Amino acid sequence: MFRPLTWILLVVACIMIALLLWDGKPAAGGFFVPPSKPSIETEKTFYKEEIINPSQHLPMVHVASLVDCGDGILTACWYGGSAECAPDVQIYSAMRGAPQAAWSQSYSVMTREQAQRDLMRPVKSLGNVVLLYGPHNTLRLLFVTIAMGKWSGSQLNLCTLFKPDGLHSPAKRLTISPFFNFSELVRNRPVETVDGGWCVPVYQEFLGKFPELLWFREVRGKIAYQKTRIAGGCTSFQPSLIPLDTNHAIALMRDFTDMRRIFLSRTDDGGLSWTKPMPTDLPNPDAGISGLRLSDGNLLVAYNDSTIDRSNLSLALSHDGGLSWKRIAVLEKEPNASFSYPFLLKTADGLIQMAYTYKGQQIKMASFNESWIREQELVAGKGSTP
Amino acid sequence: MKDLVHTLYTLLAPWLALSLLLTGRNPRPSIRRILLSASLGLLILLIPLGKFPICRWIAMLEPNPSITLTALLAIALIARGGGRRFFRPQDWRAAWIAGSIAALILFPMGLGLTSLDPYAWGWGPGLPVATTALAVMFLLGGNRFGIVLLLCLIGMLFPPMESQNSWDAVIDPFYAFFSLIITALLVFRTPLNFVAPASPSGRGDG
Repeated sequence: MFRPLTWILLVVACIMIALLLWDGKPAAGGFFVPPSKPSIETEKTFYKEEIINPSQHLPMVHVASLVDCGDGILTACWYGGSAECAPDVQIYSAMRGAPQAAWSQSYSVMTREQAQRDLMRPVKSLGNVVLLYGPHNTLRLLFVTIAMGKWSGSQLNLCTLFKPDGLHSPAKRLTISPFFNFSELVRNRPVETVDGGWCVPVYQEFLGKFPELLWFREVRGKIAYQKTRIAGGCTSFQPSLIPLDTNHAIALMRDFTDMRRIFLSRTDDGGLSWTKPMPTDLPNPDAGISGLRLSDGNLLVAYNDSTIDRSNLSLALSHDGGLSWKRIAVLEKEPNASFSYPFLLKTADGLIQMAYTYKGQQIKMASFNESWIREQELVAGKGSTP
Repeated sequence: MKDLVHTLYTLLAPWLALSLLLTGRNPRPSIRRILLSASLGLLILLIPLGKFPICRWIAMLEPNPSITLTALLAIALIARGGGRRFFRPQDWRAAWIAGSIAALILFPMGLGLTSLDPYAWGWGPGLPVATTALAVMFLLGGNRFGIVLLLCLIGMLFPPMESQNSWDAVIDPFYAFFSLIITALLVFRTPLNFVAPASPSGRGDG
């Protein structure tokens, strides 16, 4: 009786496997590098600083992210509350309608209660957030919820903040780790992919601390995702992805060793495989960094130029694809203060926008153009001349 | 609709596990006892704790109970209720050994031991193909654990879990934990008869 049944089951298995192979799953690999607006050598230098959330008086705000929504509209997001991992943490947003316009009042876009309702389960707190814009003018929020404990008990969730048809979708949990889906976090700028999706740098901090990439794509109107790994172990995490072209990119990473250096890894196959992360000559006090590629091909990184603390925030430039770095500017410096988690974004108008946590209580924004960077490099070069 | 399917599915494994526990150690519990245990189990899972029932607190920890675990719990509960003893001792052994091998492949590397991430295989066709191959091997060898693996394949095609990763249909940390423990006991030749005692003839009666 079992033998004919066995054969029936085998045929069923073959049919199912054919269906599974036919079913469209996202294929990772390939960065979309938009044609950058050429920087004009004689362009007037531009530099502007402002506080995004001047009227927000919270004991703690942290981890700002930005997204260019087109037509000069810039949206920022961050989390804030009484303390990290506290139940009252909310995710806030603010919008700027034009480069010279003021930022809107900050407003809450996700609370713990809302996340609990959407996910239909208890949530202890909220955390890091990044924004994804497009396709079809859709603005999505990729954010961390903490189920238990601290960051090691965190998970990633995706929801739609804005859609032209006005239909907001509730948050959905993303399952990207095999062990109770612990502990995946997001922090740095997503990169568009050649198939119209995104590649989001993520990281795990549970047993190890290591960098990964989360690939999103819309498949038949639904978001499909998969994850690839940059490196394993417990040496570097919080990758900042800098695509050089479709197949080539570098990832700069926060250090978790005693070396106290920014780590760098490379890919030559669109992010599918990566070289072993190696320390650069830039210091890192176990703090977040952010990098991007300028229109002339040089690389810019924002980082804490220290092996001890976050009391300064600096910029460095690389002319050789990350092999060597030159310090060009110190944006913040104050003993015992903290300037951390820079987030760099190049907007369509060619300006470089940098949001960061200012003394743990405000989100500060620096906007500058490439002429200003060139000027800073010249000044730094003169300063280092004996 | 998908949310409802997922919510009901996450309830299933804790309910089956609790029903098994509440049935007690009696080897031949009455049907009445089984029904009572199942009802009590469901009631316990629906008790509100804060804003959520207990089952949603469990879903907070494990929102993706594997199809393997759910199927094994159902098979064990049916067997305890005096119904059809679908799994023979060799089928249970196959389930625990396969679970241990899968756990050893998936969890250490999936949690970052190396730069290779086997969990990423679960987003491609590799894992369904491997699961099918394993199911075929078991079925051709007359082992009924192959049928449970086929259920996993159905779960990969029409996932009742919120996960899009095929690994989550095959294994979860609870199944991995029990597989490793029981396989270790098997290796050290400790009699394994607390889940499905062998029939006197040594052959299955299913």
